[in-house]
Amino acid sequence: MDGLKKYLGLAALGLSMFGSALAYAQEKPASLGIGVFSFTSGATAAYGMPGRNAAELMIEQINAAGGIGGVPLKATYVDEGQGTEGVIADFRKLAGDAENQVMIAALSSGNCMALAPLVDQLKIPTVGWNCDTHQLFASEAHPYYFRPNGNTVPEFMAYALYMLSVKPDAKRIAIINPDYAFGHDAANIFKAALKAFKPDAEIVAELFPKLGAATFQTEISRLTAARPDVIFSNLWGGDLENFVRQAAPRGLFSMSQAVLALGESSLQNVQIPEGVIVGVLGDGWWNSPDAAANEETQKFAAAYKEKFGSYPVFPSMKMANSFLFIKKAYETALEKNGGKWPSRDEVAEAMKGSVVETFTGTTTVREDNDGVVDQIIGTTVKVEGFDFPVLGNMVRYSGEALMPPVGEDPIEWIGKLPADFPASLPQPGSYK
Amino acid sequence: MLQVLIPLTVDALANAAIIFFVAVGLTLVFSVLRVLNVAHGSFYSIGAYAAASLGLWVVSAGLPEWLTFPALVLSAAFVAAIFGPFVEHLLIRWTYGKSEALQILVTFGLFLILEDLQRIVFGVNSLYEDTPMRLLGSTMIGGIVYLNYQLLLIALAILTLVGLKLMISHTRMGKLIAAVVADREISQALGINTNRIFMLAFTLGVFLAALGGALATPTTGVSPGLGADTMVLAFAVAAIGGLGRIEGAAVAAIIVALARVLAIYYAPELDAVAPYLVMLVVLLVRPYGLFHTDTTRRI
Amino acid sequence: MRMFLLGLAALVIVAIAGISAPWLQFLLSLAIAKGLAALGVAILLRAGLISIGHAMFFAIGAYATAFLTRNGITDFVSLLILSTLIATAAGVVVGAFMVRYRAIFFAMLNLAVSMVLFSLLSKLYNITGGTDGMRVARATFFGIAPGEQTFELIVFLTSLVVVMLVGFAVSAYFRSPLGEALKAVHTNEIRLEYISIPVWGVLLVGYTISAALAGLGGSFAAMIIGHVLPEMAFWTESGHLILVAVLGGIGGVAGPFIGAIFLELVHTFAASFTDAWSMIVGAALLFVIFFLPSGLYGLINKKRGGSAV
Repeated sequence: MDGLKKYLGLAALGLSMFGSALAYAQEKPASLGIGVFSFTSGATAAYGMPGRNAAELMIEQINAAGGIGGVPLKATYVDEGQGTEGVIADFRKLAGDAENQVMIAALSSGNCMALAPLVDQLKIPTVGWNCDTHQLFASEAHPYYFRPNGNTVPEFMAYALYMLSVKPDAKRIAIINPDYAFGHDAANIFKAALKAFKPDAEIVAELFPKLGAATFQTEISRLTAARPDVIFSNLWGGDLENFVRQAAPRGLFSMSQAVLALGESSLQNVQIPEGVIVGVLGDGWWNSPDAAANEETQKFAAAYKEKFGSYPVFPSMKMANSFLFIKKAYETALEKNGGKWPSRDEVAEAMKGSVVETFTGTTTVREDNDGVVDQIIGTTVKVEGFDFPVLGNMVRYSGEALMPPVGEDPIEWIGKLPADFPASLPQPGSYK
Repeated sequence: MLQVLIPLTVDALANAAIIFFVAVGLTLVFSVLRVLNVAHGSFYSIGAYAAASLGLWVVSAGLPEWLTFPALVLSAAFVAAIFGPFVEHLLIRWTYGKSEALQILVTFGLFLILEDLQRIVFGVNSLYEDTPMRLLGSTMIGGIVYLNYQLLLIALAILTLVGLKLMISHTRMGKLIAAVVADREISQALGINTNRIFMLAFTLGVFLAALGGALATPTTGVSPGLGADTMVLAFAVAAIGGLGRIEGAAVAAIIVALARVLAIYYAPELDAVAPYLVMLVVLLVRPYGLFHTDTTRRI
Repeated sequence: MRMFLLGLAALVIVAIAGISAPWLQFLLSLAIAKGLAALGVAILLRAGLISIGHAMFFAIGAYATAFLTRNGITDFVSLLILSTLIATAAGVVVGAFMVRYRAIFFAMLNLAVSMVLFSLLSKLYNITGGTDGMRVARATFFGIAPGEQTFELIVFLTSLVVVMLVGFAVSAYFRSPLGEALKAVHTNEIRLEYISIPVWGVLLVGYTISAALAGLGGSFAAMIIGHVLPEMAFWTESGHLILVAVLGGIGGVAGPFIGAIFLELVHTFAASFTDAWSMIVGAALLFVIFFLPSGLYGLINKKRGGSAV
């Protein structure tokens, strides 16, 4: 019991410190606290670490240039690998601390869905830096939640359209996606797009192994037995790498056209063969024609390569772009406030409807807080100068064309698109 | 039908092989020590980490690639040598003859400690080392490409099963173990050093779990959380086969693997639930497992 | 009487701590929710039965709350009662099979059922939300929807009242012939049968009560966290419930709550120094088993604290 009292005493002490932090929230703080959520442990860390690395580099660079409005950034990193319950508890703890004024959360769609009500309750501006599920803003509004990188609908529409352009005769389609919101959403959108533009295509296998499943051997046998023309997958991180390592020696990629939606993030870690359709879920390829022409982007990529030993894959670019998004919001709010440090509410206000030039393109925040970005997709190809395959035969679809209007059910919207819709879009190879 | 039958069988056997190693270790320890070791799955994942680390070292040190094969067995032996005697002597011995609740609690405490120990020693990222798999190449069976390494695993599991049975029936050590299993008190009265038998049996159990983990790495990789997942699968297999029955573990491993493979082929949404459904049904009909009979000698 | 006063004093301390430090409310409410489930486990431990699957009733209570809110029932008290009833019903059904088994087989069969539940919750994406789990909408109190702070305060105070009521009820149960018979099952089951007490019935009542408590805890947890997940039914969660019960001590009603609150506080403070949280807990568990067989509770109440296992 004495032990308990001691802890409660400690707790009371903590409270008084907490109270004093609240007092000067409106004055210019010593630092701008940001909670950054990503997967930094487990199989998914292969995708999450590049995101976290980019956050470190961006903070370093922004602070070296004097911070935002003269205030240096200070991040607290949270590992999503600990499970959703821990993520919720940590979000609550961080948001409860007045020093933290903005959150970058989260990587996983499941975690974003779980955090959304909390964001509403705690009223802290939050940037969903990587989660894509279109369910997030589908049924209710989250005024403090922003997602500059957009959602699963344009992302997976784009893959279906690209695949149909390069493989117009594909009939037998197999799907292997992770078993949670992101995997199921992607499968539904991909199937809806096929139904609309290629009605005679048939789904010959649809598998949802659990996120973090180490072995896919039986699934690979099952896929092979189905003899698909195309295998679509939005596995990611360690799962994607394990899948590629296990499937390549078993001839899966030579038998079928593979579409590895998040493939670009693993090109430098695992040998993805040439001729696989990969993309970046948005416009975030660090070396796209637009990014290659952007001096800032190339400076960032070079610094990243210098610091971490590899090029910034698209999760890195999404994270970096999220920082640009936050920076722009603070600058807008500061200007509107006449230089006075903005409150959480004022920052959220500034994020609404903002149009931000990012490292890789432009993001336009719609009235439901979802961002509209272009979609870049390509096919893996070996080129000189890189010891891993990169994107070739690229296309850049305009984000607006593939994004269903606010409030419309995406599956219904896809079903209503005219049959000549694909013909109205740019063709693979047109983005050079 | 026939063209699915062959891949179904190969997939089921390949799956069963890995589960067999870890489940037979659990069941062996239970039959000799009468302790259900909740931390058994952790030895599987430690074996996997050790094997992946050693394999990566062999490759990065520029040693001949075939050395990655002995490295798999070596790392399992290493894990068994470090943990087996130490854990048995320090923790498990203390629980002999105590209630099952206490045994489960002590080994659960051990499980928690080992989980963090792995994080501290091996880090939180996944490791992948597939040289043995690459070296062996692949074979076409029933129109589907299988890795020769998967076939090797099936052979190794069968060898292990036969080896264990032979050891128990034909070696002095095995006969001593069988005697202790049959009647602990009489064995002691006859002058058998039961403590030594317990330590050896426990170490053998750790070795089998670690070997399972080590052999699995070339095709699956290893990441945190593997121990907890494996543990519960090993429970299911050991319980279905009848705790303490070696051939029971083998048959149960095939049943569980077949259930999973069938689920992935025909009802993917049931893939995770299949092993536990089988376990539940078997335990409701035969609570002591498929191979348990009161009269026969266990093991 | 002494125990009653001690318990009341502890409750008052927790209440004061929570009210004076609002950020503790979330933490303490959650600890109490888990304490309720651990108390359920402690009841079984009294009868010498260990379940590596009891978290399933915690999960059933939590998912019941999630499904009920999704279907328009949002009243806090109704949710607690209905969810507990659902968990109780599940307890009767599962318990009817379980009480035939003892020792390792009881543990394993519970594990099997809980793992079936866990895998179904994770795989049936279209019904349960799969591994993403389900959101639990903010509950209302007699038609009034409170703000964030008020909600946490009300939940916290309610949890204290519930602990008090449950504490009284369970100690009364422990002192009743049915409760005493539980201990007797542990010591000598055959003798019970000789004096024509149906062991089956004694255990089923115990099992059902323990399921009800776990369900109540789960329902609380669902509303406190605002989200339910399949992991709530995973076997390691069941292990943690046993751990909490044993850490606190199963001798009295207060033990599991002391264990849960102690663990939750240590976790919060330890999290800032170290990642090796499981290791600390595992070591603490071994320490308690080897050196404090009556749990933390035994420290306060040397005379009455029953042996943990």
